[in-house]
Amino acid sequence: MITGGNNFVSSAPVFSNDAKKLLVCTGNTVSIFSTDTGMLVTELEGHTDLVTSVVVVPVAANARKFMCYCWTSSRDSTICYWDFAAPELVKKIKVQLPIVSMVIPHISSLSADSSEKLSNLYAFVSVEDINKPADQRKALRGQIQIYNLTNSRRVGGLLAETRRPELISMSSSGEFIGIKNKQKIYTWRIPTKEFKYDDIRRIKLHHTKKFNTLAFHPSERIIAGGDVTGRILIWRGFGKRNLSETSRKLSAGRTNNEEGNPGVRGNDDADSCSTWHWHPEAVHILFFSSDGAYLYSGGKEGVLVVWQLDTGKKRFKPRLGSPLLYYTHSPDPSLSCISCADNSIHLIKMPSMAIVKSIGGIKLPFSFPDMHKRPSSDFAFDYSSGLVALRTSDHCIQFFSLFENFEVSQVQVCERNFQPVDDPMVFVALMSLSGDGSMMSTVEVRLPEEGLGDLITLKFWARGSRVGEYNLVTVIYEPHSYAEVSALAFRSGYRMAVSTSLGGEFKVWLYYSDKQKDHQKSGWRCQSVGSYKKMPMTAAAFSADGSVLAVAAETVVTLWDPDKNALVAVIGDTFTPITTISFAGKSDYIVTLSQGSNPQLAVWDLSNLSIVWSYKLRAEAVACTEDLSQFAVLVLPEVPNGPATGDQNGIILLFDVKKPVPLATWMVKKAKKGSLAFMPPDTSRQHTDVEDADGSGIPLLVYINARIGYTSIYGELPEFDSKKDEIQEIPFVPSERPWETIFSGSSHVLPPLTKLCSAFLSSLLEKRHTTLE
Amino acid sequence: MAADTSKPFFPVESRHRPRQPKTLTPKSRFWRSFKSAPLSNNLILPVTSIEFSPLAPHDLAFSVSASIHLYSGSSLTPKSFSPLGSFSDVAYSPSFRCDGQLLAAGGESGLVQVFKLDKAGHAIRRLRAHSRPVHVVRYPRILDKLHLFSGGDDAFLTYWDVPSETQLLTVPGAHKDYIRAGSTSPISSEVIATGSYDHSIKVWDVRVSNSSSPVINFDHGHPVESVLFLPSGGLIATAGGNSVKIWDVIGGGRLIHTLDSHNKTVTSMCLGKIGTENGGESRIMSVSIDGYLKCFDFAALKVTHSMRYPAQLLSVGFSPSGIARVVGTSNGNVYIGKKKKKDDEKMEIVDDFSAFRPEPKEKVLRPTNFRYFHRGQNEKALQSDFVVKKPAKVKLAEHDKLLKKFRHKDALVSALNGKNPSGIVAVMEELVARKKLVKCVVNLDVDELGLLLGFLHRNATLPRYARFLMGLAKKVIELRSEDLQSSEELRVHVRNLKRMVAEEIKIQRSLQEIQGMISPLLAIAGR
Repeated sequence: MITGGNNFVSSAPVFSNDAKKLLVCTGNTVSIFSTDTGMLVTELEGHTDLVTSVVVVPVAANARKFMCYCWTSSRDSTICYWDFAAPELVKKIKVQLPIVSMVIPHISSLSADSSEKLSNLYAFVSVEDINKPADQRKALRGQIQIYNLTNSRRVGGLLAETRRPELISMSSSGEFIGIKNKQKIYTWRIPTKEFKYDDIRRIKLHHTKKFNTLAFHPSERIIAGGDVTGRILIWRGFGKRNLSETSRKLSAGRTNNEEGNPGVRGNDDADSCSTWHWHPEAVHILFFSSDGAYLYSGGKEGVLVVWQLDTGKKRFKPRLGSPLLYYTHSPDPSLSCISCADNSIHLIKMPSMAIVKSIGGIKLPFSFPDMHKRPSSDFAFDYSSGLVALRTSDHCIQFFSLFENFEVSQVQVCERNFQPVDDPMVFVALMSLSGDGSMMSTVEVRLPEEGLGDLITLKFWARGSRVGEYNLVTVIYEPHSYAEVSALAFRSGYRMAVSTSLGGEFKVWLYYSDKQKDHQKSGWRCQSVGSYKKMPMTAAAFSADGSVLAVAAETVVTLWDPDKNALVAVIGDTFTPITTISFAGKSDYIVTLSQGSNPQLAVWDLSNLSIVWSYKLRAEAVACTEDLSQFAVLVLPEVPNGPATGDQNGIILLFDVKKPVPLATWMVKKAKKGSLAFMPPDTSRQHTDVEDADGSGIPLLVYINARIGYTSIYGELPEFDSKKDEIQEIPFVPSERPWETIFSGSSHVLPPLTKLCSAFLSSLLEKRHTTLE
Repeated sequence: MAADTSKPFFPVESRHRPRQPKTLTPKSRFWRSFKSAPLSNNLILPVTSIEFSPLAPHDLAFSVSASIHLYSGSSLTPKSFSPLGSFSDVAYSPSFRCDGQLLAAGGESGLVQVFKLDKAGHAIRRLRAHSRPVHVVRYPRILDKLHLFSGGDDAFLTYWDVPSETQLLTVPGAHKDYIRAGSTSPISSEVIATGSYDHSIKVWDVRVSNSSSPVINFDHGHPVESVLFLPSGGLIATAGGNSVKIWDVIGGGRLIHTLDSHNKTVTSMCLGKIGTENGGESRIMSVSIDGYLKCFDFAALKVTHSMRYPAQLLSVGFSPSGIARVVGTSNGNVYIGKKKKKDDEKMEIVDDFSAFRPEPKEKVLRPTNFRYFHRGQNEKALQSDFVVKKPAKVKLAEHDKLLKKFRHKDALVSALNGKNPSGIVAVMEELVARKKLVKCVVNLDVDELGLLLGFLHRNATLPRYARFLMGLAKKVIELRSEDLQSSEELRVHVRNLKRMVAEEIKIQRSLQEIQGMISPLLAIAGR
């Protein structure tokens, strides 16, 4: 099974010490990207659940090339210590509870001495108490605990308890850590030397709105907090009374000049508090620059704002295309990165704020108004080059390579900028790719504002010179005279497409090219219009050879001759309107799915125009093989009590059209709104990654789930048992002479020389040992 | 460093329109290059025939009433001795000799006269043989300067020796009806094709001993109005009735193509060379009573251009030099289309001394000169140079700048102050996409509301915007009814809107009536 399409933005990425690598939490692994190329270098595999934070151990400048160690925490209740140059797991510490966030204060001062054994290393972790019931609103499920990483023991009691686990922020010196808790900020001062639990003291800072994020100034006692309304509060000189070394003495003198603390609420321990308000929505990012002169902030509107801390002047980096989630700076002052909510990480060259590289993951699903319950319109597949096309929130279509596991390109369907609204008025509603990927059609919808100005636009695109590059060919406004378009399909082998509408008609579009005339007249035009008893058309498909067009008119399937636009036959009917129609390969069978109160999966025989068999199943998606007469459906099992939750598990069933008994079944997670497709195996990569799959041209089944948290969204599922013996195992035979292979490979993949050298020497030693015997 | 991949600001874009079919094809561009002007010469009688001289500068002759008008071929102005007026009755069919020195013309009286064209005066030869009007007088097109063909309504075809005014050959009863058309062969001086109202076309060769019978005889099917030898000499085009037919003479009178593009009788044809002045493609130009001039490409066998004139057309001529197109009508108008010259070629006057004049020496720029510091700035990049282009500065319209700052109402007002309706609608649609249009309408003050209502009054019924703007007009009136009642100025706008709606309803009703009339016809046609 291959998986891919990881979520890059589940937590903040971290730069390595030489700023050449970026460590990104991707599900159960930590992926390490090169900042120069933006490509994946290696992965740290070992956690069994979501990795939540990474802490790179800082080292002195001369050792940056060799010392590549990091700590990771995960929701599988472990903390791991890695050498990420090798990459190998060094140490694993068990914690009782799932970790949400971890900081390690004073890690730099310790490793600078390079005396790891002597002093203790303490980790402050925010854990989720899973023992307490989740449905109880008042339960305090979040805890801040301290762990001694050197001897793997928990220290002291709880620092704080919160409703839900919070992210811990730490000042760059490691002196302060803080969390937000509703309308308060808790700040602790961590003593550098002789660490004792009792020495940790806390102050609270209050506000009237819920906090969303906070940040510490690198050198001064300044704390910035961002709230859900977009305000940024900056406290200066916090904790002078309670958090300083000599706090006891000072506190007596401080209390009498209350009026000298402008803006500070109540009895909070700060000199002054000022508020900046530019963001219209919640602030997600707050970050002080390393010299402390600037404050970076960002939020839902996708604009990175740079505040000059002394004057409050602003500079902007607009149009990042998506809400911003995390900002990370690197040891190299000219490089930093922004994580966006659309699962992309932009590397930014700093003073100019120009995007140098983008690491694009698969776009996360976004909410858009779903006017009609329509399955499997979220994805389209380019079978020839192994791409999946999916819609993004900023009016693009992203092409994502399934086998290579990276973003190939983005096509701007609708020339509009991203706007952070909850209910977008303009969105790409439908898309369809021809089988060879040479043509694409999209439907974009603009919703009416109080009945005004709605628009449906059908666009046809042709592929450019590169894979995933499409050029606009034809724009058709209101293709079905103000009725909503329900389906699009291309005819394989022809430049012909069909679009169906709920207004009761379908239109066949044909590409005309007029080469003789010097003025360009080529483009897509409507060739014919068809309707069946004025019934709303809900789905359409062309047969594999393109000779038959099947259009679902609510509960019946109408078969047409696409050239002559003549009705050939009608088969029907199902109980509820058909939502998906598909030809089963080159066979004479049609598979239809219908949803609603009485869902049905039905297989129809075209040779005698009758139903072959059917199930009462709620199927989300169907995929048919190209040559074999098999198809797979993604089924959501009926939950007896109430509506299905989002994380509903599903079953993939593989059928042969002639037999109602499934050939194979697989259980999958989060199947709601998922999608299936059969991909021809990628021959170019067969020898490298896909070697555990079948090598005999059996298509791969792709499964994509559409819920948040794409940890493993597609995969080649093992083919059914009867074919298993055909799978040729290619066992990795360790070489007799390791020194021949130990240095092979490109230099950036090789472990550091210190490691290689020892391995090399040991292999030599071993050999001599054997010869001696 | 890689270019910044973040997205630019997208300005609002009005909807694409279907591309207007380009009206200017190369052919129509060619024809449009003729500046057309009717000649106001107070003629009432029909212009029966138009002829260009075969020699440069291709003088023009046309027959109207009892005179032949002569125009200079280069300037298209009447010659000093024009018109030739020694006709006792209506003159017909002027024909230039192949060297352009002489002109022969027939007439209603049956007399064929030959004129010398360098000065005014009476005919130098008078050929008397026909007893009825002579509509066909033709000089041979090549070589022969001595002979002349004439055909008359008495169905006589006569071959003349002009100097001696004697008939070398007379074919009595050459046709069974009036001879009204004739064309001499472009490759032989002894061959003529004649067409008659008896529907037949006959090709005669005076060298044939038994000359009372034609070489070839074929039937057009209608009274023949015009006959034309095509330049190869192997094809003949004939006009009669509504059709023009092309015949293969060498192949024994085989019909090659029939062209039925006229609605009424085709009266005349001529040959034209279009395109570049030297050479170009040959076209048959035919004119008809229906007022159309059609241009027919006989190589591709299709009509390439057609022009309409406001009168019945009787005659057509096209200058061999390609600079003039002349059409004569039944009410005496002559339309002369003269090709517009792009720029007068400047004649360089080369005097003998210019070769010896010293070339002006190029001054060497010195740092004392201001231009010294600007030298090389206007240098063009060579083809081999690598050009580093400045990124084009994006120019944003005022409303785009305001939309970028989310000042929606200001953007709407700024667009309304502009002139372009499609731009205004584009801004409105953008506001809909941002869900702000209704809010903007509510926030408009009275002046701006007046602006909006004025725009709606002007554009709401345009079919392109009607669906959106009608709804908007309704919404505006709903939302701002109190303001509309209180302000006198706005009430005027509302009155205008009301009138517009009433007009539109009237139009829709009449359209429905038309639809009601058409739909039964369509139903019948569909059966």
